[in-house]
Amino acid sequence: MAQEKMLSGCAAAAQAAKLAEVEVICSYPIRPYTAIMMELARMVANGELDAEFIHGEGEHAQLSVVLGASAAGARAYTGSAGVGVTYAGELYSPMAGGRYPIQMAIADRTLDPPGDFGSEHTDAMTFRDQGWLMGWASTPQEVFDNTLINYRVGEDPRVMLPQMVCQDGYFISHIPDKVILPESAQVKEFLPPYKAPHPLSLTCPVSHGPQIRPDQGAPMDAQRAATFLEVPKVIEEATADFNRIFGRNYNPYLETYQMDDAEIAFFVQGAHATTCKSAIRNLRKQGVKAGLVRPRWVRPWPTLQIAEALSNVKAVGTVETSTSYGGAMRGGNLIHELRASLYDLPVRPPVTSFMGGLGGEVVLLDDFYYMAKILTQMAKDKKTHRHVYWIGFEEE
Amino acid sequence: MSINVPKDREVPFGAVTPAPVNQQELFITSNWRIIRPIIDHEKCTRCFTCYISCPDSCWSFNEKEEQMEWNWKFCKGCGICINECPADALSAAPELDFPDGVVRLEKPF
Repeated sequence: MAQEKMLSGCAAAAQAAKLAEVEVICSYPIRPYTAIMMELARMVANGELDAEFIHGEGEHAQLSVVLGASAAGARAYTGSAGVGVTYAGELYSPMAGGRYPIQMAIADRTLDPPGDFGSEHTDAMTFRDQGWLMGWASTPQEVFDNTLINYRVGEDPRVMLPQMVCQDGYFISHIPDKVILPESAQVKEFLPPYKAPHPLSLTCPVSHGPQIRPDQGAPMDAQRAATFLEVPKVIEEATADFNRIFGRNYNPYLETYQMDDAEIAFFVQGAHATTCKSAIRNLRKQGVKAGLVRPRWVRPWPTLQIAEALSNVKAVGTVETSTSYGGAMRGGNLIHELRASLYDLPVRPPVTSFMGGLGGEVVLLDDFYYMAKILTQMAKDKKTHRHVYWIGFEEE
Repeated sequence: MSINVPKDREVPFGAVTPAPVNQQELFITSNWRIIRPIIDHEKCTRCFTCYISCPDSCWSFNEKEEQMEWNWKFCKGCGICINECPADALSAAPELDFPDGVVRLEKPF
């Protein structure tokens, strides 16, 4: 029987990894993700989970260990947060290029300086272009579900890519919520055992990660890019199977909320979507037709689905949760991708960005009301007045 | 998107290749070399320190000749073996001193 429990995002990730029967785990402590490894270490020590649990000497080592484990044919699991994510940086491209479908759980933490440990998506977003699958959950339940869905998509022979399963530090990683824990048999039906195509082997020796010639570099890049064109199909299949087996109702790419007749829309990634939905309910009571679009994947970016979801709104604002200093819009990352996604629409809504959810700060209901005011004005004027608003620091 | 890669530029999936049991002829790297190690077989004690210390596995033991054998195709001339040899059996010679020196080749391998 499936059970319902109160679990934090970290505990949910650990439970999902256990049900996925991960075979090699490599840990190194950094809060807030550490709680995932504490749970898994407990499970291994108790005999609940039969896995090799290795302490890395740093994040670079963590990723190297799971790369080796995956090359040998094991389902491998690791994770990190904040500067731990950046310290492992060298490994991301070779892991994706070498097609090792390991999973890395990330509970976001602000990068230094000088050591703010609150949630901010900049840590993982910095590595969005290294060829990994990547997406954010907005509840502990979704963390659990995404862990399984990501393994299924990443290990598909058409895909074979590593995955970053991200959750907001603290807001999700440390606040318990109801999580349905399925039966092991359900997970087995959804997630077949991992089969490496070319594992390291004594009987059939292979070289992993050899040097290639410069004139082979571009073909390799093209091959990696082409793989991402296959991923959406696999995501759709996996999500449909997941919904059927576990009785869920996920859209493969986006969560939309009150978008049917929305005139203004918030574009939010991760935990702050929960507050945003409350704000939308209150705004609607006051006659403001607001809605929410939340991407479940960052890579692959659901370009067409986003364009379709936002084709009829009169103004859109992103809540950035990450930084892109000096970038095209001088604010965060999401607006770049969002504006590019909407560019081919015959009628484009004006788009702006709100710098919020940075450094671990909560995006308050009042902040969403303030954003709604700006978006309503944009809808009325049919144009973007500014590309960036810094929430909490603007003079009204 | 369709990609047509010429046969000679193809990369296998994940760049995984069958392991060369001895050496991979496709990726000869000795044209980086400006010095080469010269061995004095009289001084050599067959201690295998060169074998252990070479980052490119360019020293092996020829059992028939009962002496160390140097792989000229992959030695990059880093000089680690020369530095490490406890019997002083290895010395550095400029690659230009040899008629077959790799720096003389008209085209790289």
